[in-house]
Amino acid sequence: MQRFNLYQEEYHPSPLVNIWLEFRRSHIALSGFVLLVLFLIITVFAPLLAPYSPELQNTNAILLPPSWEPNGTIAHLLGTDGLGRDVFSRLLYACRTTFGSSLVIVAISVFIGVGVGALAGVLSGLRSSIVNHLFDSIMSIPTLLIAIVMVAILGTGLFNAMMAITLALIPQFVHQTRTYVRNELQKDYVLLDRLDGASSRRIFIFSILPGMVELIVVQATIALSVAIIDISALGFLSLGAQEPTIELGASLSLALDVAYVAPWLIILPGMCIFLMILSINVVGEGLRSALRNRLHH
Amino acid sequence: MIKLFIRYLNLIVITIFTLIFLSFLLPFMFPGDLLSNISGIVPQTNEQRLALEHAYKLDQSIFHQFGFYIESLLNGNWGVSLADQATLYNEVRIAFPATLELVCYALVVSIVIGIPVGFMSGLKNHNPIDFSVVTFSMVGYSFPVFWLALIFITIFCLQLEWLPISGRVDLLFDIPVDTGFLIIDIARSSIENKHQAYMDALQHSILPTASVAIVTTALFVRFTRRSIMDVMNKDYIVAAKSRGFTQSQIFFKHGLKNALLPILPILALQISTLITNVMIIETIFSWPGIGRWLIQAIYQQDYPAIRIGMLVVSLFVMSMTITIEFITRAIDPARERAESAAL
Repeated sequence: MQRFNLYQEEYHPSPLVNIWLEFRRSHIALSGFVLLVLFLIITVFAPLLAPYSPELQNTNAILLPPSWEPNGTIAHLLGTDGLGRDVFSRLLYACRTTFGSSLVIVAISVFIGVGVGALAGVLSGLRSSIVNHLFDSIMSIPTLLIAIVMVAILGTGLFNAMMAITLALIPQFVHQTRTYVRNELQKDYVLLDRLDGASSRRIFIFSILPGMVELIVVQATIALSVAIIDISALGFLSLGAQEPTIELGASLSLALDVAYVAPWLIILPGMCIFLMILSINVVGEGLRSALRNRLHH
Repeated sequence: MIKLFIRYLNLIVITIFTLIFLSFLLPFMFPGDLLSNISGIVPQTNEQRLALEHAYKLDQSIFHQFGFYIESLLNGNWGVSLADQATLYNEVRIAFPATLELVCYALVVSIVIGIPVGFMSGLKNHNPIDFSVVTFSMVGYSFPVFWLALIFITIFCLQLEWLPISGRVDLLFDIPVDTGFLIIDIARSSIENKHQAYMDALQHSILPTASVAIVTTALFVRFTRRSIMDVMNKDYIVAAKSRGFTQSQIFFKHGLKNALLPILPILALQISTLITNVMIIETIFSWPGIGRWLIQAIYQQDYPAIRIGMLVVSLFVMSMTITIEFITRAIDPARERAESAAL
């Protein structure tokens, strides 16, 4: 189509660039993004960043306050815990466990959820009704309850907690994918594909999935914050990660024993969880409004 | 309407049946002895084992066992706890209302604060008030509840010593457990200083309620704000404006109702989050509710208790969700099905 062109070169930013341009305009979203990248770096490079081994017990310096307190030292940036372990190093490793395992959980539930959701969207009649209602029901069982049952069956541990949370997260992706696929199947471009002789699977992978990516990413940011809250909550209740594994919720519950003498041991891990969730929510919100505004322009 | 009712009744019956079936299967998957997992009794002699197996129909086919399970559930014969041989029915009857009480407090606080604030900021969007409300709600719903509770305890109980740390009411008040709801129980009890008992119960409930309600309120604010913003951009609002109605006329006549409609199904989705949060908060504040009871059961590997507790809580959440979904569909026929709205 011939169009009036004011400029010499014609440049249409891709949808992805468009989102980024829109996203960048909100400073809050951008700072959340920086924080999120920071947590990602910690997750990947925690062993390189940590000044001490998280297990190293320095019995000469037990319950040292953070370095900005009068009797803290710069050798232990955030002080030491009840066994003389460096809090900063432990915090890095704990962030790694919590954030990393949450990422894995979300990735797995996206994969399974989208697959089952696509199937449920394509199916019709009794079979679809069974799949749909089953998942709607599971969706409303509280995560903690699923986790309690899983722990009762399999025993405590980070892996079991991760499985429980994955189970709890899958239904929302199924739900979202199913609704989206249902709606898209009515549209003309899918009909065109069908006339070309494409199979249902091909239609889903090549025609519907590309348009759905943004939706899933937004949903995944919500799921990620839920996963972090859940995994640290289970760690806190000592149903999740157990002692040698360092996890934010678990270190919070360890800190309860020395809460009177060392309140910073409660403040710091909680602050990490809070910042993690806040940054994810801010980025998610920024993405959502960027997507909304991009459609408006 | 009747067709819709039957459909939802059908759904609720199938879900309840599925849940009961799942809880029936649980003892087979739990580690340990099947017989003690079901009955809560560890048989000492061989005769006792045989007698128990006969009583729980374990010597018959799995269909008989399932039938017997449903029968005993309906009779209120829920078995005994493996840890202390307490009757589970009585335990749940005391613990579950305590949880419901906390859920109600939190819900009331979040609705009373969250929805008006959400409307206020949504109507005046992109001004300083709206901006601060959005910021607060974003921060509010990023708090992990257990950490928030710990911070509250540190500040209000340990530093300032204003509020009690744990429990529902001071043990000095000897209130007999009747309905399980403390407010009703105090009213029905025969103690002299009821007024003080109420004040004490109030003081005990402030911190747990606040810890749960901050997160829920923040969510409600966001939903309401989004919803009213969407509604106020609709064509019929523009039409009403062009006819010369005032802002408040438009809001109360058209905006309010249409904005409240999509909030109801979100409320249904939030119930499960709310229950999870309440269960966590209960363990921190030693609130004698079902969450604390279940987590104690896990620590003690009390499988009969886990099975019953899981069944009761999931049945409650499920029936609440389905009921709210039904109400939404009934009052808003335009809605194809309750979809999860964006945050």
